[in-house]
Amino acid sequence: MKSFSFLRLSVWFYLAIFFAYLLGPLVIMSVTAFNSPEFPRASPWECLTFEWFSALFQDERILNGIWNSILVGAGTVVLSVAMGLAGALMLTQIWPKLRATYYTIIIAPILIPGVVLGISTLVFWDRINRMLGLGADSFLSNGLFLTIIGQSTFIASYCMLVLVARLQRYDIALTEAALDLGATHAQAFRKVLLPFMKPAIASAAVLAFLASFENYNTTTFTFGEYPTLTIELAQKVRYGITPAISALAFIIVVLTVFVALANEANIRRKELVAAARKDATVEELESGRLRLPNFFSSNWAAVALVVVACLTIATVGTATVYSPQQCIADIREQKRLETEARIQELRQRRAEEAARRAAEEAEKGDDATGGTSTAPATGGNNSGFGNVFDPNALGGGSSDAEETDDQSSAPSSGGGSSAFGGAFDPNALSGGGSDGN
Amino acid sequence: MPSFLKEFFKRNGVGMGSVMLGLVLFWTIGLIILPQLSMLDFSFRPNLPPPEIGGPKDVYTLENYKYLIYGPEGGSQDYNAVDLRVFFRTLVAAVCVTVFNLILCYPIAYYLAQTKGNHIRIFALMLIIPYWINEILRAFALRIIFGETGVLNNLLVGMGLFDTPFDFIRNDIALYAGLGYAYILLMIFPIYNVIESLDRNQIEAARDMGASWPMIHRRVVIPYAKPGISSGCTMVFMLSAGALAAPQILGGPSSLWFTQLIYQQFNDNSDWPQGAAYAVVLLVTCILLVLAIMRLFKVNMGDIGK
Amino acid sequence: MSAGVGVDLENLWIRFGDFVAVRDANVKINGGDFFSFLGPSGCGKTTILRAVSGFLEPSEGNVLIGGNNMRGIGPNKRPTALIFQNLALFPLMKIWENITFSMEIKGASAKERRKRADELLDMIALPGQGDKLPSELSGGQRQRVAIARALCAEPDVLLLDEPLSALDLKLRQHMRTELREIQQRVGITFIYITHDQGEALTMSDNIAVMKAGVIDQIADGKTIYNDPATAFAASFVGENNVFRGKVQQVMGDEAMIRTNRSGDLVARISSANRGKLKVGDDAMMFIRPEAFSLAPQGATGDHFVTAKVNHEEFEGNVFNIFMEGEGGKELKVSIPNLGQSFEDHTGQNITLEYETQNAVVVPAGELAAE
Repeated sequence: MKSFSFLRLSVWFYLAIFFAYLLGPLVIMSVTAFNSPEFPRASPWECLTFEWFSALFQDERILNGIWNSILVGAGTVVLSVAMGLAGALMLTQIWPKLRATYYTIIIAPILIPGVVLGISTLVFWDRINRMLGLGADSFLSNGLFLTIIGQSTFIASYCMLVLVARLQRYDIALTEAALDLGATHAQAFRKVLLPFMKPAIASAAVLAFLASFENYNTTTFTFGEYPTLTIELAQKVRYGITPAISALAFIIVVLTVFVALANEANIRRKELVAAARKDATVEELESGRLRLPNFFSSNWAAVALVVVACLTIATVGTATVYSPQQCIADIREQKRLETEARIQELRQRRAEEAARRAAEEAEKGDDATGGTSTAPATGGNNSGFGNVFDPNALGGGSSDAEETDDQSSAPSSGGGSSAFGGAFDPNALSGGGSDGN
Repeated sequence: MPSFLKEFFKRNGVGMGSVMLGLVLFWTIGLIILPQLSMLDFSFRPNLPPPEIGGPKDVYTLENYKYLIYGPEGGSQDYNAVDLRVFFRTLVAAVCVTVFNLILCYPIAYYLAQTKGNHIRIFALMLIIPYWINEILRAFALRIIFGETGVLNNLLVGMGLFDTPFDFIRNDIALYAGLGYAYILLMIFPIYNVIESLDRNQIEAARDMGASWPMIHRRVVIPYAKPGISSGCTMVFMLSAGALAAPQILGGPSSLWFTQLIYQQFNDNSDWPQGAAYAVVLLVTCILLVLAIMRLFKVNMGDIGK
Repeated sequence: MSAGVGVDLENLWIRFGDFVAVRDANVKINGGDFFSFLGPSGCGKTTILRAVSGFLEPSEGNVLIGGNNMRGIGPNKRPTALIFQNLALFPLMKIWENITFSMEIKGASAKERRKRADELLDMIALPGQGDKLPSELSGGQRQRVAIARALCAEPDVLLLDEPLSALDLKLRQHMRTELREIQQRVGITFIYITHDQGEALTMSDNIAVMKAGVIDQIADGKTIYNDPATAFAASFVGENNVFRGKVQQVMGDEAMIRTNRSGDLVARISSANRGKLKVGDDAMMFIRPEAFSLAPQGATGDHFVTAKVNHEEFEGNVFNIFMEGEGGKELKVSIPNLGQSFEDHTGQNITLEYETQNAVVVPAGELAAE
């Protein structure tokens, strides 16, 4: 019994670590969207702010990227669901000898690296374009067309897998029955097969849209003049990150959670209704007096959905009335004080040192003390600054360079003391930056 | 008209049949086969400015492949040490990421598949939600955590474990964590699907006969889950070897991923044939590796994607 | 209703690759008939049905419906309606939508459809059930909905592919009567596929017995039972005891067979084989279990059979006696239970008697598998 509970405990421990790994980054990223420093970070917490959301909504490139992503996504959904459905139908009736080869071909795009798909799409359509004698601005070399084509190549495989799973449960006799009752092939497809496939088509469409929306590897070769949101994000993230991106991520996270919960609540409700219908007697069904379960009864997803909705409304409500100016000013003041204190300290130390050195010089007059790691005095006033800059330049590393570049305005515009303080501690850089504004 | 086509059109109607056949042919031939062949063909050609394409200089050559092995002609070294090192490092790292993911995900997949209850649905939801969020944003989230001044460093320094912030990015820890993170779902789902269909009685029977848990997994669960495991491993390996976003965002400045070389050839050097050759090398190597491993573990292509 | 539309199969061959599913079938089905194809599974009867409904194009020969050649006409253009083995009700449509699907195709208004659905629901004794889903009905109810859906299309010919096979025994027997009643009410031609001879015999005007793609005999139920044309028909329809032998003598409509085990026996030659059976031919003689009666011990002659009793059983309405028969198969005799005393014969030899009219001779041929 004891070992059993130990096993249980370790299972829960493992689950906790796993989900912390899975969800932690998202939570922390979401938190950074509300923190005021210009470099996204969750700690130290400075001020609650919503300015990154307004920064996000003023970013033309992001908004344009969202629009392009929707265009590409719509095209990809239509093309890949259509191809996936055709591919799945073909799989059920293809000549048995060809089946394995055919399956390998249509499943391969899932395994081919996205980079390779992007390149092959680009190279192939470029060649077609040249063969047709079209110019560089033709329809075929258009970024929108290429991206949709490139993404659909492998997204259609995902759709096919989703659709074929449902299709396997389809009784071909249903189509035959429709034909037998006078329907044309198109009518049988539309009125019988399509309604049956509808749930799977909906899942495939959602999957296709999400896959398209987040695709980077393929799109990065094909986007042309239509950079999608992912491409814009990647460029922003590669060349310096701001909490505005966290704000966008937060919005996407909330939307995702919302949709997922809504879907789950809906499924749960359907299950409960089906269970109730099954238990109901014919009389109850006929009289319409069957009591269907309440939307919230034993439906955790629905409850969670409402909680998320309330939280969102509360957040938006707060954002409209809340102003972080006071807090930011406080923080700035605090930083200024800290910086001043440090300068004071430094001056004091330098003064002490100078005094000691003077004393030593006065006593011996030859060697400097090894205990302090200060640079050899190169000259009067500047040596203090040298002290401060040197360790930073050594420890900062080039990975920091991008961040530093992004806020490079801070030291130059911030004036003497803030540049000094900023260099002292990279953490304070953003503070210095905002100081300069 | 061949009889199987006639049969096909009889079964599906001429209109529906043509649409179906057209879509399938467009997908398989127009989107899958021809572009790959085209890329292969392209990789054997010299990099020429557009007017000279199809001209006398446009002949087949092995130059692009030689470049990967020997480096630029007249170069100082015998071998293209930089690119080759990146290539092998990518493959080895992808294997490591795959193994790490398998070890991390197998217990979770087993737990989800063999436990009943409402909380499993919540777990499943929590598992899927991160994958509805942009790949770039996932990498971005990890960068916030692993950054010099990120949460993790603050925590470690705050706890006194480290004196100075540890550079996770330069040491590629962020990259491996990011790659592992990116493909968790692709590892869990195939394994989950297979284990879910395993009759619980088999496990009970094994326990009844006195087998220990490691024994049960080694002799009952893992052999049964092999198709799922190989399917998950194949996907994770191929995708991490072919990943581009995570290395670009989380990779250290000095360590490149092979896909980044391809990207550079295309976007920075504008040397498409060279990039195509690198892409072909990546694709072929990955496929050969996967096939070899599938051979080793005796699983079929048909199991992939189930 | 009209006299109905007939269906003719002319020299019909259907091949799948090298496999011949139907071999030279010639059938004339009269308008308004209830016609059954009876045969074991895999004999090609469903293939014939699919050829009539248009899902299959015959390799050779023609299907004529009402005298019109159906070659090249798709299933949706033929005046037939098929009831599938698993019924194939559309699972996502309500019952009334299922029933009136054929009207929806023609663009009828919802109101018209609803009205027609109510009429048909009344006819199949399911009034007021139109708003349910197929999954909410019982097996027998679904069965009737499938019939109503097919009838709603107003076909000239209704095709039924073993529609009762999924039902339990009692319901199956009930549905037989019901199907026959519906057929008589609507007066259209029914073509029914079954492997159950009970179904075929109780419902059909005429039956075609099929074996491995070949039609052995076409006749009404009584004829098939009493006067089978082939060994297969004799052994497949109802229980029968077989005696193998050679024709010893032909005497008008009767023949004397020298059987392998029971000496010379006389029986009626089945009408399809009269004049064809000659002395010296291999022949098979069939006697139904109920055609025997007990005879005095040791009686001999051309209509007496003596054999050893293996075991006996009491079935209520009959006593069954199982005796040593030919080729490892037991000879079965059923004596009606009329309240007489019945002693145990196990292990003894007993002698049986039959009327030569009740025994039938056909040329030797393949027997139906058990």
